[in-house]
Amino acid sequence: MKKDLRIKKINRKEKVNIRVNGNEVLAYNGETVFAALVASGYKALKKSPILKEKRGAFCGMGVCFECLVTVNGTPNVRSCMCPVENDMEIEVDE
Amino acid sequence: MSRKKQKFNVVIVGSGFSGIVAANILLDAGLDVLLIDENMHTGGQLLRKIPEKLGEYPGYRPDPVKKTGFGFVDSLRKKKIEILNRAIVIGIYPDNKILVEVDEKEVISVAYDVILFATGAREKFIPFKGWTLPGVYSTGLVQVLMKSSGVLPAERMVIGGSGLFLFAAAYEFLKNGGKVDAVLEQTPMFEKMKLLSQFFHQFSKFTEGAKYLLRIVLSGTAVRHRRKIVEARGEKALEEVVTARVNRAGRVIPGSEKIYKTGALAVGYGFTPNVELPQLAGCELEYAPGKGGWVVEVNRELETGIENIFAAGEITGVGGALKSITEGRMAAFAILKRLGKISGEEYSAKSKSLLRQRRRHLKFGEYFNLLYSIPGEMFLDIPGETVVCRCEDVTMDDIRKAVKHGYASPGSLKVAVRTGMGNCQGRICGPNVFEIISALTGEPQRQVGRFSVRPPIKPVSIGSLAEYRDNGKSG
Repeated sequence: MKKDLRIKKINRKEKVNIRVNGNEVLAYNGETVFAALVASGYKALKKSPILKEKRGAFCGMGVCFECLVTVNGTPNVRSCMCPVENDMEIEVDE
Repeated sequence: MSRKKQKFNVVIVGSGFSGIVAANILLDAGLDVLLIDENMHTGGQLLRKIPEKLGEYPGYRPDPVKKTGFGFVDSLRKKKIEILNRAIVIGIYPDNKILVEVDEKEVISVAYDVILFATGAREKFIPFKGWTLPGVYSTGLVQVLMKSSGVLPAERMVIGGSGLFLFAAAYEFLKNGGKVDAVLEQTPMFEKMKLLSQFFHQFSKFTEGAKYLLRIVLSGTAVRHRRKIVEARGEKALEEVVTARVNRAGRVIPGSEKIYKTGALAVGYGFTPNVELPQLAGCELEYAPGKGGWVVEVNRELETGIENIFAAGEITGVGGALKSITEGRMAAFAILKRLGKISGEEYSAKSKSLLRQRRRHLKFGEYFNLLYSIPGEMFLDIPGETVVCRCEDVTMDDIRKAVKHGYASPGSLKVAVRTGMGNCQGRICGPNVFEIISALTGEPQRQVGRFSVRPPIKPVSIGSLAEYRDNGKSG
């Protein structure tokens, strides 16, 4: 994937292991799932219901429900409101 | 989570400026207070910083207003207040009870004597061709992503729309190492200067604004006025942004298009108050363009039409942090009076200067709300194939057709084409749908009205509800 989009000046503490569609993705404790995804270059996260358009996060604060992903088997989780946890399995519909 | 206690003197919904200011005062008077917020952190949309468990941001210095705000959060922590984060109020009932979904896992019932709504505001957006493309973000998302998670949305981006918030986002993005290809404000610049001298008491806000502008100008970023976003294009995600100059009525001037190749597009068009929960509670709303649209009606003591339900902050009129601080204090003192903690005279003494401050803040808010208000006809420029309701893929053409066939109210339109029926429950499309109906029918917004609301007012996982029922049976 593309280069890491994390702000360089921040001294981060603890890495956590998460997997996105089966691939290891870098994440730090305290980030949201969405932040970890966007940092690694993910943009499209789901499809719209009728037109099947690619959609990604839009409002970033839990209002629009465009950033829904599957977390540990639970579908329709707002990735912008969900903190990453160790060994999280995330599925996105790119 | 917090099953220990199910009854509080005061429940506060929303932990932004007004919520935390009120909570501090109420706790100091010895009341039991429960603070509920949907976010992972306490402080609302403005008071965000890199969480301790994520790491440190050396050299991070909040501006004076935010510094004060973080102080309110810290002092709440010392008072050992009960705070429910990642918690959503999904229902409110006449016997002074609310249902709260916590952590997307369980639903609990909480009783209160008095409830204070401090639910804040959210951004407004105007649909344009391609605005649903991944990589088109709200200016709020850009801020939240950088401030709470320490991540940039892209290496470079274009920022466009309307309002001072565009510059705040540009400033923050530049400071964190991003490159801004352009800031595009569709409102004409000279209009911003009108009446400005009236607001010298808000001087701190202007010096903040000047700081933003200076940084942006020094970076060599192009700042363009009267230029709007016409289209976002890209194969799988955003690749380029088509912009065009607009005339004073906001209409595109043909031939003035300019294309920016960029990594992301951030858009914002001002704010609209989060009045859904007060609406569900049965509080009267009023439509006031100078207050930012539909707001909760309150009396001088910030009590809504329903006894023991108070409202403070952006939901009584979009006006910024200073107004929210004033109203947090006002609401807290009114609640203390209601619960017999202070006398009528004490209340009058405390509230006198606050009332005066509130009037000034409302006037300040009115200036910006009207300055950046978007002419209704501009909504008719939304292209036919453009999706207006993202949740249900309803296009501008779908809405036009339905309105033409007589589905010309928010409620009937919702039934006819499903606008507002999806996950966001009309929070994103609603403000646009009401404008479009108004522009198509010529009926003023006040008469067009809003979507109705019913519980649960945000989608709840079936699991949490099922668990609540089970507990209900066994308990």
